[in-house]
Amino acid sequence: MRFDAALALAACLAPAAAVFEDDAHHIDFHYALLGLPKHDATFFQKPFAGSKASLLYTISQNQTIGVVNPKDGALVWRQASSHDGAGPGLLRSGEGQDTVVSAAGDRISAWSASDGRLVWETRVAGATVEDLEILEQEDGITDTEAKDAIVLLGNGKPGVKRLDGKTGRTKWTFEDASGDTPFQVSTSPTTIYYISLHTPMIGASKLRVTSLSPITGKKLDQYTLSSDSDIQSREHILFAGANTAAPLIAWTDVANKVLKINIIGTKGVSTFHAPSGEPVERIILHAPDRVNSLAHFLVEYQTAVGHSADVYHVDLKKSTISKAYSLPALKGKGTFTTSTSDANVYFTRVTAEEVTVVSSVSHGVLGRWPVRGTPALAGAYPVHGTSEVVVKADSATAVRSAILFSNGQWSLIRNGEIAWTRPEFLSRVVSAVWAELPEEEEALAHKLEAEGDRNLVSAYIHRVERHIRDLEHFPAWLQNIPNRVLGNVIGKSEESAIEEIHHDTFGFHKLVIVVTERGRLAALDVGSKGKVVWHIDLNQFSPKTTFHSPSMRAFAGYVEVKDASLEGSIYINSTTGGLISSQDIEVRSNVAAEGQSLISFDLVDGDLEGFLDTKSSPEAIWTFEPPKGERIISYTARPVKDPVASIGKVLGDRRVLYKYLNPNLVLVTTVVESSRTASVYLLDSASGQLLHTSSHRDVDVSRPISSTISENWFSYSFTIDSKSATSSRGYQLVVAEMYESPLPDDRGPLGASPNASTLQPSEGNGDAAKPHVLLQTWHIPEEISHMTVTQTRQGITSRELLVTLPASNSIVGIPRQAIDPRRPIGRDPTAQEQSEGLTKYTPMILFDPKWHLNHKYELIGVKNVITSESGIESTSLVFAYGLDIFGTRVAPSFAFDILGKGFNKVQMLLTVVALFVSVLFVAPLVQRKQINSLWTT
Amino acid sequence: MSAPPPPPPPPQWVLDLESAGSTKPKNSPLPDPPGYTASLTRKERAQSSKVAAVRKAPTPEEMDTLKMKKAWELAIAPAKQLPMSAIGMYMTGNTLQIFSIFMIFTLFKTPVMAVAGLQRTFAPFDTPGTSGRLIGVKLVYILMNLVGLALGIWKVNQMGLLPTTRSDWLAWEGERTWSERAVPREWL
Repeated sequence: MRFDAALALAACLAPAAAVFEDDAHHIDFHYALLGLPKHDATFFQKPFAGSKASLLYTISQNQTIGVVNPKDGALVWRQASSHDGAGPGLLRSGEGQDTVVSAAGDRISAWSASDGRLVWETRVAGATVEDLEILEQEDGITDTEAKDAIVLLGNGKPGVKRLDGKTGRTKWTFEDASGDTPFQVSTSPTTIYYISLHTPMIGASKLRVTSLSPITGKKLDQYTLSSDSDIQSREHILFAGANTAAPLIAWTDVANKVLKINIIGTKGVSTFHAPSGEPVERIILHAPDRVNSLAHFLVEYQTAVGHSADVYHVDLKKSTISKAYSLPALKGKGTFTTSTSDANVYFTRVTAEEVTVVSSVSHGVLGRWPVRGTPALAGAYPVHGTSEVVVKADSATAVRSAILFSNGQWSLIRNGEIAWTRPEFLSRVVSAVWAELPEEEEALAHKLEAEGDRNLVSAYIHRVERHIRDLEHFPAWLQNIPNRVLGNVIGKSEESAIEEIHHDTFGFHKLVIVVTERGRLAALDVGSKGKVVWHIDLNQFSPKTTFHSPSMRAFAGYVEVKDASLEGSIYINSTTGGLISSQDIEVRSNVAAEGQSLISFDLVDGDLEGFLDTKSSPEAIWTFEPPKGERIISYTARPVKDPVASIGKVLGDRRVLYKYLNPNLVLVTTVVESSRTASVYLLDSASGQLLHTSSHRDVDVSRPISSTISENWFSYSFTIDSKSATSSRGYQLVVAEMYESPLPDDRGPLGASPNASTLQPSEGNGDAAKPHVLLQTWHIPEEISHMTVTQTRQGITSRELLVTLPASNSIVGIPRQAIDPRRPIGRDPTAQEQSEGLTKYTPMILFDPKWHLNHKYELIGVKNVITSESGIESTSLVFAYGLDIFGTRVAPSFAFDILGKGFNKVQMLLTVVALFVSVLFVAPLVQRKQINSLWTT
Repeated sequence: MSAPPPPPPPPQWVLDLESAGSTKPKNSPLPDPPGYTASLTRKERAQSSKVAAVRKAPTPEEMDTLKMKKAWELAIAPAKQLPMSAIGMYMTGNTLQIFSIFMIFTLFKTPVMAVAGLQRTFAPFDTPGTSGRLIGVKLVYILMNLVGLALGIWKVNQMGLLPTTRSDWLAWEGERTWSERAVPREWL
């Protein structure tokens, strides 16, 4: 109870800067992303049997299951896979079911289709799920209860399992001991077909089809299809499956000239020829996946210049395939989608210009809609999609298609109109930087500097000339005033983002340049709710490279992109996204000031080594070799831009504790797996000198150990091993402050000397001084995966420690006062300590709900958080990226230099106007009275 | 109603009271009470002034002594104020409030004004005979005022308004410049 009271008191005293209600959703933005949707696992589906509207289900390439409302593109629910499972991500749903079944890695899960709650989950240890199907019918009878799932396992334990649709329990297992590579599973009303790739010692691979009984899982039949050395690996198989009455398997030769199709269950292979003319680059087979639909399918041929398609019919009785009709070849790229309505099958052709719907029966066009393009989709073409068609009296009245475009936008085209677009290309950002614009201010500073060198008269003339030149902006400025005033009073005026960034008084509009795993570069304006200013694909600049995890650095006006697989680097203009050739720019280092010798350090063979002036001397000037058995897992250096307003901390009795402000501090984290120990070493990275060490036992070294260092303090957090027998378990946060001396009013061995060097310590005044480190540890309720510190322009505003909590999908800003290592332990603070804002030490810090920066947003998969100063001192900009993208701004000491939203500008203006009017009325009265009084006396 | 009867003649004591007769009966058998000095008639006053003129006038030395006494009283008057001020200071506390600020203002103003008006204050006592001795008195007066001022300064210091500690001069102390700058290699 007393503990709670103390906490409550602490919360009251600490200026907990919460997100204000009227600021939420205005100062922050969140892209709840899924990633690029997968073709075979994206579908429209009713969330439950009686539902009127259907939702759009998908699993993305990074195995995030997402459900989107097709009306507005809003996310209904999503489930991100917690680990990067091997194998494909699969998502299936039975007709009329209220669950969807997903598989990723070794996990098979069923989710409630309407709200995303977990229904059941099964794990098959040591295997990966290769394929997943829903058993729609059993012996020709549709199961009205929960439909069972058929799972194909590969990688170690090949086999087929039937899982109960209600509980996920295994009904039967068929184990394949033949050593074939499992490929796919397909169901027909009576049989389950298990298709595997049989690779004999000599000769080409063959397709082996095994039929299984759905009831017992016993092998019924097995046959091998000879593929005439066309199939070398699974990539060569075009298509297999479709849970129709006639499941198909199709493959092609290497040159994409001959298409071979087999109806699963029969041995005959039909051969068709691709259209002559342009060489076919890709063949895609589109078939309906409903049991009761007609056995028709469409084969799409993509060439370099256009695309065409043929529609084929399957004769079930004769087991033959015949071509029904051809769709005309069109220039440009496009895609086809399949949709069913009862037994009818419709194919929708989507190109960048128009949407057409044809029936599978005849080639007559049922509906045609021109697509009205939007700027977001300019220059992009459809890659794949899924459609819903409404057909009344042989004409399609409505069609909506969820299409993935080549620029990574996932959008819904409703009757030719783009209903919404989701910028899915932004998911999985691996690196982000704050763009530095070529500043006008800097130019002004140069001009003013130039005046300093001249004599008084010419400097004055220069100044006047500059002012006259500035007058050319005056009319535009004058014209803008009404707009600005109106915009201020009423709301926001619309401006283009780059303009906003250039004419931004408060410095909230800053560009963040992000780069995704796949090498897609985008610029977002943090100030206008993360608007995408431009985005480009880096592959167009280096077509041969496959990007893995590009990294970036920002310079004035451009960014430099580097990747392990990329030779050299790519330079991109920050404001336009255009390529800059490396000759046009001079690479200048902005790290070291004049007169400072530059030292760089790096991990070399597990040791941290420092080098003098990178190029000239390859020999290390210092080496930090961790003690035996310890492994360096990370190191954190003080940021380049880390302004400190005050070099000391003023105590309650007005004495000063001098901060140890060394720009070269680096925090090295090491672990020992065998003894479950984690150690933290504080180094001076100029000399390699060890300044402080602390070690923790019983640490779960498999969990992340995050750390950060700023100003004169550092912090790190780790997980206590759950197996260990220590008295306390859980997650710990350690915060340490460094001072020049333990005594107040003392600057330590260096004294008042204004210069310091750790590499060449001057004699006598002991430059090799170690800081006095104060350290306190707290228990925290959750694991911290990443931590960083807010940044402001001059460092006057108190800092906030921003921690990412993966367990609750949030980012929390802990005020520095709550984690001050000088909090008195075991006693109440004295009056002087109270005046410093220190509260009694409590061993547990609970994350105050007010500290959460993300309020209602759920931030999934946050990898990193970056901060930047804004134009005003009180506010720091925050940008988080990973699977999702989130941006906000924080004011740790409250927004003391800007009017909040609560300030009523209209009322103020009305008051001024009312006062003015009243003065106008009263003035003549007073004047008359004064004159009268002169006459009467 | 008949006309009211004429008022009766006023009694003797009223007549006595109204007639501003001599305060002293002409020939009273009773002597004046001790310590009572009857107000003098003009004639008597003239007589008495004659008597005063007759009294021996004080010598300039006596006058100077008297003036010096008076001057000394004036000189140590500020010291008499001090305990009162001190109590006031103690009562107002060390926080910045309108009362304490006001008190401190007066505390600073009084001695300064007093010292500024030093010559005027001591002008009545300045004679050729006392001018030499008056310097010491003035010095004591200044000293006493300075003690008052010191009380004000002590109070201001208690309130933390005097830049006497290291923290007050922190803004003028600079961060050390380090002759090396080390960064991770990937930042280059």
